[in-house]
Amino acid sequence: MIRINYTRQVIHLVAFMLIQIPLLHRFILFDVAFGFFYIGFILFLPLGVNRNITMVIALLTGLLVDVFSNTPGIHASACVFLALVKDYWYLISIGDYEEDINISWNHLKLWGSAKFLIPLILAHHIIIFTVENGGLSGFFSLMNKIFLSTLYSFVMVFTISLLISPRERRM
Amino acid sequence: MQNLLNFLYRFRTFGFFLVLEGFCAWLIVSYNQRQNAAFLNSSNAAISSISSFTHNTANYLNLLQVNKQLLEENEVLRTQLAIGNRRSYSIDTSLRKYDFIAAEVINNTYQRGQNFFTLDGGQNMGIEPGMGVIASKGVVGKVKSVSQNFATVISVLHRGLLISSNIKSSNTLCTVQWDGVSPYEAEVKYIPRHVSLFEGDSIVTSGYNSVFPPDILIGTVSSFNLNIEDAFYEAKVKLAVDFTSLNYAFVIKSRLKEEKDSLEFITIEGP
Repeated sequence: MIRINYTRQVIHLVAFMLIQIPLLHRFILFDVAFGFFYIGFILFLPLGVNRNITMVIALLTGLLVDVFSNTPGIHASACVFLALVKDYWYLISIGDYEEDINISWNHLKLWGSAKFLIPLILAHHIIIFTVENGGLSGFFSLMNKIFLSTLYSFVMVFTISLLISPRERRM
Repeated sequence: MQNLLNFLYRFRTFGFFLVLEGFCAWLIVSYNQRQNAAFLNSSNAAISSISSFTHNTANYLNLLQVNKQLLEENEVLRTQLAIGNRRSYSIDTSLRKYDFIAAEVINNTYQRGQNFFTLDGGQNMGIEPGMGVIASKGVVGKVKSVSQNFATVISVLHRGLLISSNIKSSNTLCTVQWDGVSPYEAEVKYIPRHVSLFEGDSIVTSGYNSVFPPDILIGTVSSFNLNIEDAFYEAKVKLAVDFTSLNYAFVIKSRLKEEKDSLEFITIEGP
């Protein structure tokens, strides 16, 4: 039986998306690290839901970000990819999700967050920066951008998920 | 047949994934080709009003910088005015070839691979796709798409923008294109090897394509290199405009563009 906690999804939507969008180009450190923490919304979507629906939600999320950054399709394609692989990756990295399909920081903790989030954020950043760059030209500055941005986005997604995690079970 | 249907059914999620990715790929490709796609970008009215709001909020924080830039610009204009007065000739407005439309930059990027910025003026101010955009210090871009109140501009920091330019000292035609590395520098291409080039040479617009008026500064040569087997120099230009603090820009409306373009079209295509 799938029980989706809709209030939590709305909280995620507000915390990850609505803060990110007006400030899309203001979370940039030293001109190389880009903080795209809006993907937290997609990563924390409930597990085991019909994947087609998840992908459509991810597409719309990505398109919304794209519209603000003049890159139609780039964020959207990366987000759709995340939505496709997210559940598989949860099974591989964390394990089964029978007890609760609504993931939050309380399930992941520090080590789980690192295992679950970092590879997905890295995949997302590899897609958007490579496509935007139009190939692998300028390889080292591109990799520099990808890795530093991944680290930065991870820290932000982690912090936000920690701040909005359900209170009663927080350590 | 049954097997085929079973196969399709088993891979329906992956198929749907491919369809969505195909849609994204279509968006990416078509955006780079269409001239005026005002639907899915920052010149869209709803999107721009949000950008405009955040810009206005953030604006108070860099008023100091804006004031400084305006002062500098005033100084330049006053100098020009003084020189003009000394020569004491009157400017006949009917002979003026270009109009300048001032607009505020409300959204700007310079760290990405392909950069755009948004202006808070659109069709209401007479801005049209394809017009050149300059700031007080030099060239900044070319209008990509326009809505009622906003315009999206391809920045000089976009590899798709080639600017026809001149070396001011020797009047040699060359092309400026960004190389995607630093927001302060761009590449100058096609300078033939017989020309003598020096660091600090000014690169200005050529005025051949009626997007930019002639002799608008793009930047100064910062480094160059001539390999023995190359026909052209490898040169870098330090951009005159600091894209990290771009607050105001002027859109250039060429009064004679249509006339010039149609004449050139007739000449090339035949009557």
